[in-house]
Amino acid sequence: MKLISQSTAGLLLLLAASLIALQAGESLPLADQIGLLDQLWHGVATNLNYNAILFVEGRIPRLLMAMLVGSVLGLVGSLMQQLTQNPLVSPLTLGTASGAWLALVAGSLWFPVLAAQFAAPLAMTGAMLALALTVFIAGLSNLSGLPMVLAGLAVNILFGSIATAMILLNDQYARDLFIWGAGDLEQNGWQLLHWLLPNLLPALLIPAIAPRVLMLLRLGQDNAAARGLTLLPLFLLLLCLGLWSLSAAIAAVGVISFVGLLAPNIARRLGARLPLQELLFSSLLGALLLIATDALAILITELSVNLVPTGVATALIGAPALIYFSRSRLKAKDNLHLELPLSRFRYSLYTPLLLVALLIALLLLTTLLTVETAQLSDWRLQWPSDYSWSLRWPRMLVAIAAGGGTAVAGVLLQRLIYNPLASPDVIGVSAGATLALVAASLFFGINIHQAGPWLAFLGSAIALVMLIALAKRQHFAPSVVVLIGISMTAMIEALVHFAMARADESAFAILAWLAGSTYRVSAQSSVLLAVAVTVIVALVFMLQRWLVLISAGRVFAQARGLSVGYAFATLLGCVALLVALVTSLMGPVAFVGLLAPHIGVMLGARKASQQLLVALLTGANLMLFADLLGQYIVYPAQIAAGIIVAVLGGAYFIFLLIRTRMKS
Amino acid sequence: MMKTLITPLLFTLSAALLAAPVQVEDSRGSHSLPDVPQRVAALNWDIAEQVIELGVTPVAMPNIADYTAWVAQPAVPEGVEDIGTRMEPNLERLAQLQPDVIIIASPQIDLVPKLEQIAPVLLYHTYNESHDNAQAAIENFRRMAAALGKEAEAEQRLTAMSQRLNELKAQLSEAYLGQLPRVVAFRFASLTSVYVYGDNSIPQYALAQLGVAPAWPQPATQWGVTQKRLKALGQLPAETVALYYQPFDEEAKLQTSKIWQALPFVRNGGVNSVAPAWNYGGAMSILYNAEVLAEALLAVAPEK
Repeated sequence: MKLISQSTAGLLLLLAASLIALQAGESLPLADQIGLLDQLWHGVATNLNYNAILFVEGRIPRLLMAMLVGSVLGLVGSLMQQLTQNPLVSPLTLGTASGAWLALVAGSLWFPVLAAQFAAPLAMTGAMLALALTVFIAGLSNLSGLPMVLAGLAVNILFGSIATAMILLNDQYARDLFIWGAGDLEQNGWQLLHWLLPNLLPALLIPAIAPRVLMLLRLGQDNAAARGLTLLPLFLLLLCLGLWSLSAAIAAVGVISFVGLLAPNIARRLGARLPLQELLFSSLLGALLLIATDALAILITELSVNLVPTGVATALIGAPALIYFSRSRLKAKDNLHLELPLSRFRYSLYTPLLLVALLIALLLLTTLLTVETAQLSDWRLQWPSDYSWSLRWPRMLVAIAAGGGTAVAGVLLQRLIYNPLASPDVIGVSAGATLALVAASLFFGINIHQAGPWLAFLGSAIALVMLIALAKRQHFAPSVVVLIGISMTAMIEALVHFAMARADESAFAILAWLAGSTYRVSAQSSVLLAVAVTVIVALVFMLQRWLVLISAGRVFAQARGLSVGYAFATLLGCVALLVALVTSLMGPVAFVGLLAPHIGVMLGARKASQQLLVALLTGANLMLFADLLGQYIVYPAQIAAGIIVAVLGGAYFIFLLIRTRMKS
Repeated sequence: MMKTLITPLLFTLSAALLAAPVQVEDSRGSHSLPDVPQRVAALNWDIAEQVIELGVTPVAMPNIADYTAWVAQPAVPEGVEDIGTRMEPNLERLAQLQPDVIIIASPQIDLVPKLEQIAPVLLYHTYNESHDNAQAAIENFRRMAAALGKEAEAEQRLTAMSQRLNELKAQLSEAYLGQLPRVVAFRFASLTSVYVYGDNSIPQYALAQLGVAPAWPQPATQWGVTQKRLKALGQLPAETVALYYQPFDEEAKLQTSKIWQALPFVRNGGVNSVAPAWNYGGAMSILYNAEVLAEALLAVAPEK
């Protein structure tokens, strides 16, 4: 009974909010609007003037679209969070958006006409694939932990990098996609709603089936099994229903971040306790949130020269809101983590020596490989010309320093937050540097390649201070650290999509920079980076005892007389510094920080000092190889090392995870 | 056989005759080249387009496949080598091609120190918010011609262009009985938003040369395009003619849209699509845009 009265109140609230939102930037008087709505309801709206047609064919569908998409995002967000018992799970953190994005980019490059006609099913396929991959990586048994979020991030990075590479190599084609990518709710008629509605019908089953399953899940899988209920089939069915509705919504309006993550958390804070209550509350809150931000986006578009898509508005509002919520409420189970495969190798002195030998071999190959015609097949090995050498050595130096530095940052981070899936691109420091540079380029017209390391440093320093300030209260709980990274990354994506939709020159410079390229590095800055990275890495090696103690556990470290908070902040500072330096010079570099430490462990390096050394060398090797490959794979064009690393690393990473899971 | 022997000989002779250094102008100022360059590398599409228009076959240009799809006119002659992307041209390959001069536009500005080690660099910055792009395009065309020793060709092309523009203008004036409509030219970005060609855009300049005034003037931007909502086109009077550039992949959906059909100029029949043309090119792209715009305008001219 209580639920019914609550629902009625909620619907009334929704109606009131809709009427208020309709007034944003609307020229039609309220009386006319209501008259039109009445006519529309009775199906007699004919012979309208242009403004009335706009209202009926543009504004009303847009409002309904916001309501529908918002409620689906809220509902599915809540379903997933309850299914996984993980308050960090959402469409944003599961890689769906980048899956859809990649599918659309690839489709519109290869089959432009077909892709325009079948954009929605195409995006849906991409979104479903990405989600399936994320779930597959994390494993069904790991859904409730941070690994799920991190697996989603890995898929995000992998798919996002491939899409960026495609756009950069064919920049003219992908331009119009960015408006979709930015999450645009503007409607031209009812056709999109007509497409979306039947596709969302399966979502109606969710409130019907879910509550019982969710209630039992709260008791724990074992308890449920004891009551004679095998949850797995129902669990999978619910997951599929949720994914399907979500993909349909993304396909229709593009990337709208944060709503699905925030709505369930607000619902819980407002006191939703029972599963069904939370589902319905989240759905209502999602609709309200999106209607409100959409009205805001309409207002900003009216006031400013630029067209502001709704997705940009939700990201700019949602990111701070999420960080605010993370202070007290959001906690994922942090203790679950992925088992790294046991090493078949034993660490010895030869391990680093072999890696050094490999590095030297790669350096020699990079130095000597020369193609003297337009054909790649005409390659030969010879000493490069002076000019070629002057181009090559700074690139090699930067690749080694960036790869090694990022790898060390990765080892530090994984040991500090006790999670082998953590990576420096996850904690938001790299994102902070990127955000500063992108914003400077967008709003102050600074050339992103000339913006210089200071700006990047400022960005990452702010991100770091924020991170420490926010995370300190939570004793540096990994979930908070990761959330800040996710928030920042989503804001960057929104800003980039916004810039790309504006279609001026700075946008492509930004995109090229985001790919992580060594192409524009000068001799001077390469030496600077190498020296700075060397100094920081040396410092880290000197402080490795702290790392060993913290790795063994906080309580243990405290008992041994280590000031854990101080040591943690210092080591985290090293991570930030390394990442900021690398990012400012060659753009964001993904996956090296994740992969290199893993390879270290697989090569048998278990001790902190061993892992640091092996990861350092592995990272340098990886990056150098990526840069070499990138220069020749699409010769005479080039692909940025950052993209190659992300693709190679991502593919290898997924292969590794799948193999591990096959064995277990 | 004789020809292959004589050609280098002629070059040497002419080089000897013109041994004095050449003074050339670009967007950065005055430069001295040792000689009139023969091997030209063009690192941006608008540059390549103009070099080809001047009758010079560049030794290298970026992303030829996409140029062919988007810029199309003029066609790339045989023997031009693809040098990679516009943002990151392959510098080592460029150096191997030993150009006499490298001509760039604004996207390559920060590469100048690396390029200057290969050959003298000329920058022709055509698209800029703070000047008149069309005038800059014409001026840059002349400067580039001077640098390449092709002044006569440039003047001939420019004269031919203004003759052709006058012809088209006369045809339009005749078709519309001297009462030319105001025109809004745009490109679709999606079903709900468009890029309107405003001040500082090549299409608007081309239309002005045809005697057509803009229906919806927009403030000058770098490329002259401003993103607008489709529905905002509803504020334009019914006598407006709307011209949208092809390709637009969702054209079928557009025809069924009630908002589109309700736009005053669409009701009035004042709408047509324009054959593809590159809107961010050099001087001659003014002519190509004028040709397709005039063609589209003539097709919707009132019956006599």
